[in-house]
Amino acid sequence: MSLNFYRRVAFGLSPNEKPDKDPLNWAINQLDIIPDFLWPGTIPTEKDLRKKYGEWVYGDREVLRKKFKNDKHAYRKAKDELRIKTGERYFELNEHAIRHFQTKYSKQPVFERFWLFWGNHFAISEKDFLAEFSTGPYQREIIRPNMVKTFEEMVQSVTTSWCMIHHLDNSESFGPNSKKGMEWGETINENHARELLELHTVSPNAGYTQEDVIQLAYIMTGWAHKWDRKNLETGDIWFDQEMHQKGDKIVLGVKYKNDAKRELAKVIHDLATHPICIKFVSTKLCRHFITDEPTDEMINPVIEAWNKSNGNLIEIHKEVITQAYKYNEITHKFHPPEIWLMQLSRMFDLNIPLSFEKMNYTFKSKPNNRQRQLSWILREIGHSPYRAKQPNGWSDLEVDWVSPELLLRRFWFASVELPMLVKSENRSHDFILACLKNNFEDHANMASLIDNFRFGTSDYDLGQKYGVVCNLPGVLKI
Amino acid sequence: MNCTRRNFLIGGSTTLFLSGYFPKISFASMQKKNLIIISLRGGMDGLTAVPVIGDKRLKKLRKKLILEDVFNLNSDFGLHPKLEIFHKLWKKNQAAFVHATNIPYTGRSHFDGQNLMETGAHIPYKEKTGWLGRGLLASNIIGKGLAISLPMPLLLRGVPQNNNFFPSPDFVETKLIDQIYTEFKGEHNELIKSTLDTIRQRPLSMQIATDSDDRKKLALEAAKQLKDQSGPRVAVFDLDGFDTHAAQGGVDGAHADELEEVNKIVTILHKNLGQAFDNTLILTLTEFGRTIKQNGGYGTEHGYGSAILMAGGLLKKSQVYTDWPGLKKKELFEGRDLNSTIDSRAVYNSAMSVCFNKDPEFLRKEVFWGDELPDLSQELFKI
Repeated sequence: MSLNFYRRVAFGLSPNEKPDKDPLNWAINQLDIIPDFLWPGTIPTEKDLRKKYGEWVYGDREVLRKKFKNDKHAYRKAKDELRIKTGERYFELNEHAIRHFQTKYSKQPVFERFWLFWGNHFAISEKDFLAEFSTGPYQREIIRPNMVKTFEEMVQSVTTSWCMIHHLDNSESFGPNSKKGMEWGETINENHARELLELHTVSPNAGYTQEDVIQLAYIMTGWAHKWDRKNLETGDIWFDQEMHQKGDKIVLGVKYKNDAKRELAKVIHDLATHPICIKFVSTKLCRHFITDEPTDEMINPVIEAWNKSNGNLIEIHKEVITQAYKYNEITHKFHPPEIWLMQLSRMFDLNIPLSFEKMNYTFKSKPNNRQRQLSWILREIGHSPYRAKQPNGWSDLEVDWVSPELLLRRFWFASVELPMLVKSENRSHDFILACLKNNFEDHANMASLIDNFRFGTSDYDLGQKYGVVCNLPGVLKI
Repeated sequence: MNCTRRNFLIGGSTTLFLSGYFPKISFASMQKKNLIIISLRGGMDGLTAVPVIGDKRLKKLRKKLILEDVFNLNSDFGLHPKLEIFHKLWKKNQAAFVHATNIPYTGRSHFDGQNLMETGAHIPYKEKTGWLGRGLLASNIIGKGLAISLPMPLLLRGVPQNNNFFPSPDFVETKLIDQIYTEFKGEHNELIKSTLDTIRQRPLSMQIATDSDDRKKLALEAAKQLKDQSGPRVAVFDLDGFDTHAAQGGVDGAHADELEEVNKIVTILHKNLGQAFDNTLILTLTEFGRTIKQNGGYGTEHGYGSAILMAGGLLKKSQVYTDWPGLKKKELFEGRDLNSTIDSRAVYNSAMSVCFNKDPEFLRKEVFWGDELPDLSQELFKI
């Protein structure tokens, strides 16, 4: 088995890890339990950060805008101070640190790869201040605990999470015949219903119609954040009967009797266990781990595992890995920039993220450049994880990640930035050779390409070496 | 507005179904012509950008989104006040609009819609190349596409050696690029190899390091490139944020902010293209328009018909080209959206035929599978 399997399903091997005698078993054994977060620094709760979110939007919208409505300059200054005070510029950096610390040091890196996968399947795209305050904790508190449950349970949690409801505007969706809908002349907002069908469960392959979307939106009416004058939109999610569309609904030919808040769980059950949903999500999993265009031979065993286990994600994950192992030698997969960065960080023991002591924040000034470094790198290589442009998340296709600039960004990172992230004790040529040997069959050939610089340890020399080895065909694309 | 469906059709309708097109070989066609597409992702609201004037129904359905102080284009249509450059160019016959138009897609999914606006196809995700890429390939114009974004937009895919411009904060040594290039072998690496080919052929001016957050700088460099007689002939800008489900606003809302971005880009292009602006067409592209009615969050939902904003010296004249479907309930698409009476692909096909000096009939077959797309070049563009 090629060593690339450790990069196909994880992040490669760190200098103190050795290849396992049974790589398939090594990988499969990582999926039964949820590893703890290893980050020794602050890990705030979703609720805490939502409170910060509230302080920020309330302070800006309700206080500063009114107070400084005639003085643009003073307004800008006060707003910057509020950013500092509420951590608006800080929490996302901390979330990136938590995430990358995990993928770098986790004893269950295969589990972490699935964590990234699901966070992107149920993506929160760049909207309002979600990336600043909420997307990170959503990934930790909503996505992660459900990875040892069923797919249906995952969909239930995601759909009623504050983050997704805010992301897709369900709090603004009123049943037109509901009490509030009638009183205020309000109607539905279809956004969340549409994405629940299209992206999260059955996909357009199910052939749903506009009427199905409307009917599902009716079912979803009432699932909203509690609103009050002080917390604005950051209140907890609840079911507001007075927003809920009365009457029976029909989605994809199935009738859902008028049953208030219980309607949603029923329709999610049907969507999450729909054969087309199972095929759609199984295909996505195979695409992520095996190849851009997975075949039925790869997908069908995953569908079988899904059916046999009633959608148990542990069993599904194990089958995906089994297939990834089976096809490891004959398929190729291009990794998006963030996974590539995580792999470099693990294989070469890079100095990212910053130590938790240095990530500590006092809410008194702007985060410093060192604290911003990892997030800045992610953005520059084109893959800031919590800022997908659209609710369908980041693409898993090579064609979306190969452009002149995107490739140049990787060359730039490896040859210019990376040397500054090499730990002082790891600057020798022998260290690079050992890492290459640990992770690549053709390490001898790779070594020959950088042999000219074997005596060099300056940033420039390291840049010459890492610039090449990090961007070779077998590194960019396994 | 007192006109109803089909009682006026601006522009001569006699040529709608193709009179012959024979590109003249003249000095004018030797001059490089530029085609610039600005993608407006999220669903641009044609009725905010180019509102109908005095429509009572629209006023009633959009109480919180009403625009004051619009520029008057003619007796029927106004222009959003943030689209200042278009108003300025309108007076010089260098801005025009196509209204009540869309790609032939009536679903309301961003992802399907954006896929189709770029592929020009009927079934989402079926085609892997963009209409612009195929148009360039069919016209044998290779290595002349420039994307102003980090990823290569689907729109430009289908023709090899496109470039993109979104500079990193520091230089990459040519030596490194060459060294990596020699290592890329094997059939499964074709895409990366051809991308590296493009990188190695980039002009010096593109090997700069800058802050790519600054849209102005990017538009400026794009203008510089397009102005160069041997530079790119096609550029693609990408804007998003048009999906205003909430707080869409009127003159100053969320939709207005996005229109302001369009205005900025066009202003820079106009200023810096100089004379080359005379040989340029700038067209916007979006996946759908938005509902007539405002929603619960003072925003609008995904709709159907929208508008195309156009600028450049290759326009025939300032006009709002439309076959106005009306806004009465029964005139709306599914009773809720502005209808689309012009397949927007006809506009893009005609624009390509003008800029690439190709017979529109030929392009229609090569690029759009022979779909019924009338040639609008005589109505809209200088040929």
